[in-house]
Amino acid sequence: MNCAEATQEIPNYCYGEVSSEIEEAVESHVAVCENCRTELARHRKFLELLEERDSVSDAGLLVQCRNDLSRSIRQEAAVNAGRSRSWRGWQRAMEQLRGLSQVHIPFRVPVGAMALVALGFIAARYTPEKFGGVRAALAEPMFSSVRSVEPNASGQVQIAVDETRRHMVSGTLQDPQIQELLVSGVTDGSNPNVRLQSIQVLHQASSANSADSDAVRQALLGALEHDSVASVRLKALDGLKQFSGDVSVRVALANVLQKDQDAAVRAKAIELLAVHTDGSLVGVLQNVVQKEENPYVRAQIAQVLAQLKASVGTY
Amino acid sequence: MFQAAETVSRTLAEPLDESGLIRAAQNGDQDAFERLVREYDQSVLRIAVNILRSPDEARDVYQEAFLKVYRNLNSFRFDCSFHTWLYRIVTNICLDHLRRRKVRKEESTAVETPDGVVDRIAQVKEEGAHSDPERQTWNRELSGGIAKALAALTPRERTVFELRHYEGLRLRAIGDMIGTTEEAAKNCLFRATQKMRMSLETFV
Repeated sequence: MNCAEATQEIPNYCYGEVSSEIEEAVESHVAVCENCRTELARHRKFLELLEERDSVSDAGLLVQCRNDLSRSIRQEAAVNAGRSRSWRGWQRAMEQLRGLSQVHIPFRVPVGAMALVALGFIAARYTPEKFGGVRAALAEPMFSSVRSVEPNASGQVQIAVDETRRHMVSGTLQDPQIQELLVSGVTDGSNPNVRLQSIQVLHQASSANSADSDAVRQALLGALEHDSVASVRLKALDGLKQFSGDVSVRVALANVLQKDQDAAVRAKAIELLAVHTDGSLVGVLQNVVQKEENPYVRAQIAQVLAQLKASVGTY
Repeated sequence: MFQAAETVSRTLAEPLDESGLIRAAQNGDQDAFERLVREYDQSVLRIAVNILRSPDEARDVYQEAFLKVYRNLNSFRFDCSFHTWLYRIVTNICLDHLRRRKVRKEESTAVETPDGVVDRIAQVKEEGAHSDPERQTWNRELSGGIAKALAALTPRERTVFELRHYEGLRLRAIGDMIGTTEEAAKNCLFRATQKMRMSLETFV
C-alpha cells in the first residue's frame, strides 16, 4: 500500500469499515510512514472534534410526539369507521336506485335516462380504466360543468360535461407513455419536487436501459441548463453521468462550470467532466480555475488538473 | 391508546417478545402497538432530531413514521427485522424532509450570523456547559462549523454520515435502510467525511 492508497482508506479504516486485508495493509503502512501516521492522527482528531456537537435530548418533545400520535391514531380509527359507514350508505343508495326503475310513474322514461347518466358518472368515477398498457384510476373530478343538455324523442338525454380531473397513472418504466409523462414532469414549472422525482426515476429507467436514452438526455440537459432550483440541477447531473462522454453533454457541463451560481452544481460538473479526458478539458479547467471563487471547487479543479499533469495557470 | 404511567412501567419491565407483539398489533391489539412504539420511539426521535436538527421537523417525522407503521403493519411479513423496517421508514422520511429543505434552500437550525453560520440547537445546548469564555467561543465556532459542514452535504450523504458517525450503525445496515448496497453507502460515507474534514480543516 502506498501513501495515496493509505490516505484514501484512512476515513473508512477509522470507522472499522474496511476489509481485514485493507486494515492490515493500512496498519503496516502507517507503522513505517510518518506522514501517513500524522494523517491518521489528524483524522482521528477530526472525528473527536465532531463529538463536540451535543445531541438534543428533549423529554418534553417525546411526550408531545406520543400525545400527537395517540390523537392521530384515534382520528384515523374514526375516519376508517366513517368510511365503512359511507360504503353502507352507497349500498343503500344503489338499492333505492334499483327500486326507482320499477316504480310506475308518468315520466318514468326520463327518470330512467337520468338514472343511466348517474350510473355512468358514478361508474366513471369508481371504475379504473385502461389505455395503452397504462393503468389509470380516476380520482375525484377537480372541476366539472355541464356544457349542453339535449333530450331526444326516445327518452335518452345527451349531456356534454367538461371535466378537469386528476388521473392516477401507473405502469412500468418500459412503458412509452410513462416515459413521456416523466419527461413532462422534468419541465413541470410549478413543482420542483415533481421535477426532482421525475429526474430520479428517469435516471433509473435510463440506467436500466429501459428508456429512450436520447429523450432522457435531452430532458436532463434542459433541466441542467434552465431549472432555477439547484437541487434539481444536481439531480439532472446525476442522471447525465452515464452520458458524460457525449459531446453535447460535455459542452453543457463546461457552460455549467462557467455560469452556474451554485458551487455544489459546479463541483458536480467537474466530477462528470473528469470522467473522460479530452484535449479541450485542460483549457476549460485552466480558464475556470482562475475565476472560481469557492475554495472547495477551486481545489477540486486543481486536483483534476494535477491528475491530467497540467498546471493551474495558463501562462 | 396509551395506558396510565404505572401500567406502562410494569408492562415495559416485562421481557419483550417482539414477534408476538407485532402479530398481536397486526390483529388490532392497541396495547401491543403501543409497546412496539415505546420500544423504539426514543431512538426514532433521536435519529430524526439529529439528522434534521429541527425539533419541529423531527416531531413531524415521528408522526409520519409511526402512522405509516400503523397503516402498513399488516404488510410486514418478517422478511427483515422490525427494527430495520422501521428505521428504513424513518430514514426515508428524513431524506424527503432534507430534499424538500434543499429545494426550499433553507436550513432549519443553521442560521447566518455576523460570525458565520451557527447551529441554534448546538448553541443553546452548549452555552451553559462551559464557563471559560475562550473555550465557549471556540465551541460555538466549532458547532457552527459542524452545522455548516453538515448542511453542505447532500441529503443522502448527511443521512449516511449521521447514521454511521453519530448513531454508530454499520454501513451494511445503513445501505439496507436507504435502499442501496453496502459499497455505495461506503462511498457515500467517504465523500461525506472528506467534505466534512475539508470544511472543518481549520479546527483540526
